[in-house]
Amino acid sequence: MTDPVNGAWPYLYVHQSRTHEPSPYEYKLAATLEQVFTQEGHELADVVRGLNARQVHAADGAPWTEESFRAEMNRLGA
Amino acid sequence: MTLSTSATADHIYAHGLRNQWHAVVPSRFVAPGGMRKVTALGEQWLLFRRSDGTLAMLADRCPHRGAPLSLGKHLGDRVACWYHGVEVETDGTVSSVPGLPGCNLEGKKLVTSLPVREVSGAVLAWFGDEEHPEPGELTLPDPLTDPEVDAFLCYAEWNVPWRFAMENLLDPMHGAFLHHESHTMFEGDTTAKFRIRETDRGYFFEKTDQRGVNFDWVELCRTGADWVDLSIPYPPSAGPGGPFGIVGMACPVDEGRTGVFFWRYRRVEGWQRDSWRFLYKTLIEQRHWDVLEQDRVMLEAMPADADQHENLYQHDLGVVRLRRLYRTAAEAQSA
Repeated sequence: MTDPVNGAWPYLYVHQSRTHEPSPYEYKLAATLEQVFTQEGHELADVVRGLNARQVHAADGAPWTEESFRAEMNRLGA
Repeated sequence: MTLSTSATADHIYAHGLRNQWHAVVPSRFVAPGGMRKVTALGEQWLLFRRSDGTLAMLADRCPHRGAPLSLGKHLGDRVACWYHGVEVETDGTVSSVPGLPGCNLEGKKLVTSLPVREVSGAVLAWFGDEEHPEPGELTLPDPLTDPEVDAFLCYAEWNVPWRFAMENLLDPMHGAFLHHESHTMFEGDTTAKFRIRETDRGYFFEKTDQRGVNFDWVELCRTGADWVDLSIPYPPSAGPGGPFGIVGMACPVDEGRTGVFFWRYRRVEGWQRDSWRFLYKTLIEQRHWDVLEQDRVMLEAMPADADQHENLYQHDLGVVRLRRLYRTAAEAQSA
């Protein structure tokens, strides 16, 4: 993505950690994850159950398992 | 010549302390094969990478007629001035004067070259004066070297004196007011008692009656570079891992401008780390940015002589201490 690193002062750029604009899937997953962390708890089992209960599934439509959630977070959070 | 020892204490206090390391710009600002002009401590500098990727930093001034080297050409392990083609190596030695081969400039080290290091995504340089060109010891901020801690760097450029940016960090009480409308600092008492607690590398300025609720403490660390460490709680929405911390540094650009470096860090591993990083990139970074903008708007609106006409109270002990420390250092470094 474009990142205005051209020397023009001042550099004021919100998104310095991103490699791409998040997809609608990523935005929805992130927002739901925040809701789940707030309402269900911080254990991995709580998170997987909370996401599945809200029917916010993986990109392939499959319900989350602990393994698939770990793998997807690893991909998205790298 | 750069960073002369004849500068007055007022000049040093306004433009930044010498004989220490300062963060200059994020590493990614200096692309392979590219050249980056940088202003720091009121001087013009040039950053570029050697062919092996390591950084070099030279005074941005051709030793021949004073043209900016940053307008010249990157030749791998040296730069060529655009004006007359004079070539300068990364250590500041003139390697070639194409217009007059054999001219007595060749082989002479005529350009100031600063020692540089890359640390967690930032370029740090040793700004020694003429009497202290060799780099001093640098102990890196522990949160940035701890493998169990994960961090994102946020860099921004503010039109404020560097001292105001540092003073803002040594003033934790502003969190409960300026940042009351934020995702992290909406809780906690709006009254507090503070104390200074000495450490072997600086001092803590901390509330005596509240911890872990708002921006309740800060440690100033002087370990070859000046940096602060502080911790702020996250709401439950940020997931497991507890509070986030900030390692902060400020680059004195000139008397009215500052580059601020904030590493937001968290002690998280495994899926907890990955989910924080995902949330940070997708949603949280924007909220952190909004908080930082509150600081920028306030500090940029402060009059230049704000620190000349004040009525301070107990909460300002951390700031007073910081000023005295910097003022004393500036006096010691002046002629």
